[in-house]
Amino acid sequence: MSDVAAAISIQRVSKRFGDVVAVRDVSLDIAEGEFLTLLGPSGCGKTTTMRMVAGFEEPDAGRIVLRGDDVVGVPPNKREVNMCFQHYALFPHMSVGNNIAYGLKLKKVSKADRHKRVDEMLELVGLAGYASRKPAQLSGGQQQRVALARALVNRPAALLLDEPLGALDVKLRKQMQLELKRIQHELRTTFVYVTHDQEEALSMSDRIAVMKDGVVEQLGTPRDVYEHPATPFVADFVGVLNALAFRVDETSGTDAIMRLSDRDRVVVPGGGSAAPGSQLLVAVRPERIRVHVGDVTTNGGSRITGRVDDVIYLGTLTQFHIATDAGTRIVAHRLSDEDTAGIDHGQAVTLTWDREDASILHDG
Amino acid sequence: MNVAVSKGGRRLLWLSFWFLVIFLYAPILILIIFSFNARELVSFPWEGFTTRWYREFLQNQVLLDAIRSSASIAAISSVVTTVLALPASIAMSRRRFFAKGLVSGMLLAPLVIPLVVLGTALLILFNYLQKVAGIPIELGWLTITIAHVVIALPFAVLTIVPRMERIPVALEEASRDLGADAWTAFRTVTFPLLAPAVLSAYLLSFVISFDEVVLASFVGGQTTTFPLYLWSQLRLPSQLPQLPAVAVVVLAISGVVVVAAEVLRRRTDRTLTSSTAVPDDIPNRVEVRTA
Repeated sequence: MSDVAAAISIQRVSKRFGDVVAVRDVSLDIAEGEFLTLLGPSGCGKTTTMRMVAGFEEPDAGRIVLRGDDVVGVPPNKREVNMCFQHYALFPHMSVGNNIAYGLKLKKVSKADRHKRVDEMLELVGLAGYASRKPAQLSGGQQQRVALARALVNRPAALLLDEPLGALDVKLRKQMQLELKRIQHELRTTFVYVTHDQEEALSMSDRIAVMKDGVVEQLGTPRDVYEHPATPFVADFVGVLNALAFRVDETSGTDAIMRLSDRDRVVVPGGGSAAPGSQLLVAVRPERIRVHVGDVTTNGGSRITGRVDDVIYLGTLTQFHIATDAGTRIVAHRLSDEDTAGIDHGQAVTLTWDREDASILHDG
Repeated sequence: MNVAVSKGGRRLLWLSFWFLVIFLYAPILILIIFSFNARELVSFPWEGFTTRWYREFLQNQVLLDAIRSSASIAAISSVVTTVLALPASIAMSRRRFFAKGLVSGMLLAPLVIPLVVLGTALLILFNYLQKVAGIPIELGWLTITIAHVVIALPFAVLTIVPRMERIPVALEEASRDLGADAWTAFRTVTFPLLAPAVLSAYLLSFVISFDEVVLASFVGGQTTTFPLYLWSQLRLPSQLPQLPAVAVVVLAISGVVVVAAEVLRRRTDRTLTSSTAVPDDIPNRVEVRTA
């Protein structure tokens, strides 16, 4: 990161509202052209963080640097970022064209130029020919596109998006996700995206900052965050996860090993320094767990036996809830096929997963 | 079930409809009829059609002067009221400040203070200012204007605040975000959306001032406003037949103004209800219907 100039650098920023600390000592560097998502439940500080970048809130402490300039104290109209608001915030008394041209007019762009750039933007968001409509005459998805065009036409240093797809139905949301990604790719604009939808975050972002209680719990690529969650909260918030508490029996190199019975054992890489007898929280994604009817052996991986409690058919996937003989409950996802169709409630099964698929959760 | 279409609800609607017709519209209709009645007394029987009362009042200089002073007082007091109400309404709906409840209570107090009390108090104040403090404030059109601003202000604020509260803060933020300073944001976004309510507040203040008789009688000094003149003439039978004619003219003018304002308000009001009235016609959208 250090050799690439950061478009936005958030440095040790804190913000409180009355007694409530909304953002606590957050630092983030967002690279030029990056798609960064702030992900977290409501009240985690993601929107406040974004509003501080836009200039609608001032931090109590810390610095916000936009392309090299500290912007703390600079009003929103003097900041080179633009925002897409949650409910679009289109000006209802202006046509689509005038909405998009609003920022250009204020920047005294000539009328001919304005016209050209508005048309380009309408083209980009797939609304060519809609310039004279009023926002009220558009559907939610179309209004969303206008909001996007109105922000992007100013060629901002970064585009801030505050849950922009929250008000759309599922089908349209999926489509807009692809569209947003395409537009970001075409313009190479830095996107900062706020959402509480983990799937949205995973499918669109270059990096995700998972936030909770005003703190960034983990910053990483979607794959990092999903496969190697740093804290139990991240693991739980980003997808379904098995968080299993086991007592360490021995270590081998960098691995911690828990022996549950003669043949059942769990191996966790990175647990080599754990003292035997100490408790570890082991994370395993449901889709990494194989479900076998009868007996199998593993080489180097984990193996645990149990009984099927529940089978939930999800279409492409089938979800198994298994009560293990060691007393824990594990959720496994398998592709629905003939094999999984034969597994039923009460059946004795053996679960296995590879050594690399387990990781240690640190309490946050 | 909707109360308005339930059996009891319909009866109640019917009742209130006829109540209004009998006690509001019938008197107006009678007034119009009498204004054209040739009889010297304002009562039945009908003695033939005449426009004499209209001609007479147009030559009644005292009456015309009263209308003129009422109109100018109303014109000035309504502008002052609106100019004061606008920033007050914005502060009430947008800002948090110390003792906001108290301030709003004080702003709206003239609504509940009896006019006679208010009139007496204002008279004492004006006398004090003039005689003790030495401020040259003669009882007359200026003091009536001030009194009318006081009683119209709460109505103007109550007209503007609800509209202001319906304008999402995000619109102003979007404007700021796109490069507008606070004044430009107000001028290009907030005010255009607020304008219908501001116009309503102006017209309401105008009508309140034009109609007002109690305060004008207390603080009016030698100035006779139109309602004061009507009130005083009720005692003189010779002038009485002109009154229905004057009333009809005033009614017609204010009727046109009020209807025009309402039409304007409704038309612009639609701009704020920008909902997703149009279905999403983006390809691949699948309508899910349950059979």
